[in-house]
Amino acid sequence: MKSRILALLGGTLLSASAMAGGYQVNLASQRQIGMGHTGTGLVTGTSSIFFNPGAMSYVRENGVTIGASALFSKIAYSAPESNGVTARTDNPVGTPFQVYAVYKINDKLAAGLGVYTPFGSTAKWGQEWSGRFGLEELSLSAIFFQPTLSYAITDKLGIGAGLTYVKGSVNLQRGIPVQDEAGNYGRAELDGDGTSLGYNVGIYFKPSEKLSLGINYRSRVDVDVEEGDATFTVAPSLKSRFPDTKFGASLPLPATLSVGIGFMPTEALTIAVDVNRVEWSAYESLRFDYKDAVNGSNFTENARNYEDAYIYRIGAEYKATEALALRAGAYYDSSPVQDGYLTPETPDADARGLSVGLGYSVSDNIKLDASFLYINKKERTDASDKSGGIGGTYKAVAYIPGLALTYNF
Amino acid sequence: MKNLFYKTGTLALFAGVLLTSCDPDIDTPSSSAGTADFTSYVAVGNSLSAGYADNGLTLPGQQASLPAILASQFQKAGGGAFEQPLFPEDKPNGSGYLRLTGFTPQGQPITQPVTTDLAVRGQNEKGAPLYTKYTENVNNLAIPGIKTADIKTPGYGSTQGNAYFERLTDNPMQTYLQYVQAQAEAANHTFFSVWIAENDVLGYATSGGAFETDPRYKITPVADFDANFKELLDVLTADKQKGVLITVPDVTSVPFFTTLGPSIKQVLATNNIPGMVAITGSGRDRTQFAASQIGAAENGIYFPLTASSYAPLIGQPTGKYWRELAKQLSPSQDPLVVRLTLAGVLANYGIDTTAMFGLSAGNPLPSALVLDPVEQAKIKTATEGYNQIIKAQATARDLAFFDANAYFKSIQGGFAANNVGYSPAFITGNLFSLDGIHPTPRGYAVVANEVIDVINSKYNANIPKADITQYDAVLFPGRQ
Repeated sequence: MKSRILALLGGTLLSASAMAGGYQVNLASQRQIGMGHTGTGLVTGTSSIFFNPGAMSYVRENGVTIGASALFSKIAYSAPESNGVTARTDNPVGTPFQVYAVYKINDKLAAGLGVYTPFGSTAKWGQEWSGRFGLEELSLSAIFFQPTLSYAITDKLGIGAGLTYVKGSVNLQRGIPVQDEAGNYGRAELDGDGTSLGYNVGIYFKPSEKLSLGINYRSRVDVDVEEGDATFTVAPSLKSRFPDTKFGASLPLPATLSVGIGFMPTEALTIAVDVNRVEWSAYESLRFDYKDAVNGSNFTENARNYEDAYIYRIGAEYKATEALALRAGAYYDSSPVQDGYLTPETPDADARGLSVGLGYSVSDNIKLDASFLYINKKERTDASDKSGGIGGTYKAVAYIPGLALTYNF
Repeated sequence: MKNLFYKTGTLALFAGVLLTSCDPDIDTPSSSAGTADFTSYVAVGNSLSAGYADNGLTLPGQQASLPAILASQFQKAGGGAFEQPLFPEDKPNGSGYLRLTGFTPQGQPITQPVTTDLAVRGQNEKGAPLYTKYTENVNNLAIPGIKTADIKTPGYGSTQGNAYFERLTDNPMQTYLQYVQAQAEAANHTFFSVWIAENDVLGYATSGGAFETDPRYKITPVADFDANFKELLDVLTADKQKGVLITVPDVTSVPFFTTLGPSIKQVLATNNIPGMVAITGSGRDRTQFAASQIGAAENGIYFPLTASSYAPLIGQPTGKYWRELAKQLSPSQDPLVVRLTLAGVLANYGIDTTAMFGLSAGNPLPSALVLDPVEQAKIKTATEGYNQIIKAQATARDLAFFDANAYFKSIQGGFAANNVGYSPAFITGNLFSLDGIHPTPRGYAVVANEVIDVINSKYNANIPKADITQYDAVLFPGRQ
């Protein structure tokens, strides 16, 4: 069954829409999504591989979790002084997913492997909207493979570290504002992928039965595309100016520093608070270098100048019965995109997230987790005059149901 | 187990599908006409309001005319239908137009006239084409080629030969002013636009001031403009209708005059030639100018696009221009008569075709191929004169006023919109069509949005802006 689901995911995966700040996708565990995606200061189960490898050695049993979300995102756009919504995205359903396996080597040492998708972006604006020379369609994805070791130094203090192998890909399509004799506009398509390495380290500390703390650092990873394909469709008389060629680009996936606290006032209730600091300042510009000059230039570069951003999260889980857990959470995600730099790739704004979830133990070793997250980004109007973006007003919402299955042994 | 997984999954997907119908919304101001009323809009003007581009009037050009773009935006604020004298769908190429067919190895554009699917129904007695008639009532009353000076000329369409006017009226002696009056009454118009003064200086400018004595190429005296313009406005504001008046842009800043200069300057610099000799005005007077004056802001020299085919001959002994002029002027195409005409022309202008073309007093640049500072000064004086009157009339009659002259000056350095660059550069600037004078449909849309701005502010209206990316710029050869 697992392999079948993986195969299914393989068919549709990696079209996660960016619904956190920038192109981050914070959908790493169905249980934790239900709790506002907190978890740095908790033993979250197999997903501690992601949230805090330092807590992973405290999981009680070996376990395998597979889960996925269905990300329905919608963005509306109103062109300046148009008196209406002039464009809407037609984004495909994103399917960010996660697979975690944890094996307890002994009481103190645990090994794990995680496969998850913490970054991605899909925006499909189409070929009609007024911003098509900025962007028609972008699909950005990154899949992380993370082998992890975790060691409980004492009953109260654990450390863990994982190496992340990242496979990223980008596909960008935009119109070129030159027309052929029939009036068709030119089009550019950039398609490439790259791999990279990073790490994920964490410390977990549980001073008492009722309190736990965690700190986690997921490193920056630069996905370097080296031999991407740049394809240009233009009027034949202009083709020599727009030769098909290779391109290189480097896309930074920023580091995230998280601190989290867990309170367990009663046996049944867990409350968690997390703060994430996402080091978006790494994303200074989006630059494509071409092997052959395209329209007279060997590169294109647009400033991004993102700012570091903070996300504030709170979540709770209540065990209604032995088998049933109810969850709820909320977060506030501040946008890394400064005024003047808004782009249709990630028309980002400060976002509010509300989540609910439930966990159900089907049997002693099989557990289901379901979550639902609603994200509402603030309406944002920007001139986009510093980024080569498309000025106007953007408003985005997303509805994200998700499901996971955990098998413990 | 498996069943449960699928059931829950299906449920989640179903919920997701439901939720996707909850589209985000953006609160925007609603469109309104303010104190204006766009129920019946009529447009008065010349080629710039007719939809003329690429040196011709075509059906697609008409459909993207400035007033048509305005009217479609007005319709979002209570505006009514807007009828235009469209060419038939099976004759979309109308008068014919220039199309881009390629580039020379040096990157210079090659254009070619399109002569198929024309809306030509015959010829007048001078052999000029007559176009498919359209005598229904229309809202777009613009006539390519018309000057303000022409609006009271009986027979302007017939005996005077403006085929664009001829096709609109059944009465050969009706003046344009009478036509406007009749159409305005038929439309019972509530709003109007007037953008008309361009041709009062353009013919003089594009002919390099060479044929000032010919009424077609002379500058309309400001006083004549004043009288006619006021009469026109009297007709249009008879019932205190609201409207917008538009000034004449500086005709010397269009690509027709700015494109060729840099390459000629380059040739002179390469050959260490300090300056050139040209004929100024309509006589035989010579004038000299320095290479540094070409394209300069002060005392500048401009070459019209029509000089393109003669520019490579600079410095050579040639009589090409004069031979062609003689052919045009000659009463008969009999080679002997043409040769006699040529001899007369050469004597008249004092030309020695064995001297170095453009560099000697014996074989100077013909006046028609250069716009010198004296000629520009005349254009400037007239343009400023017309524009002052237009502005004063807008104030006196409490009308919206768009200063196209100031606007085109402000965009000389270019601007970007929707990630597309715009500038007054020929072809690459996206704003001007292949004739170098008239905007592309996109250029007209850009102007329309500026006009909407002044209407909105004058009449406290909120007309939405047009999506300029829906309009064509220059079309490049080949199908992708």
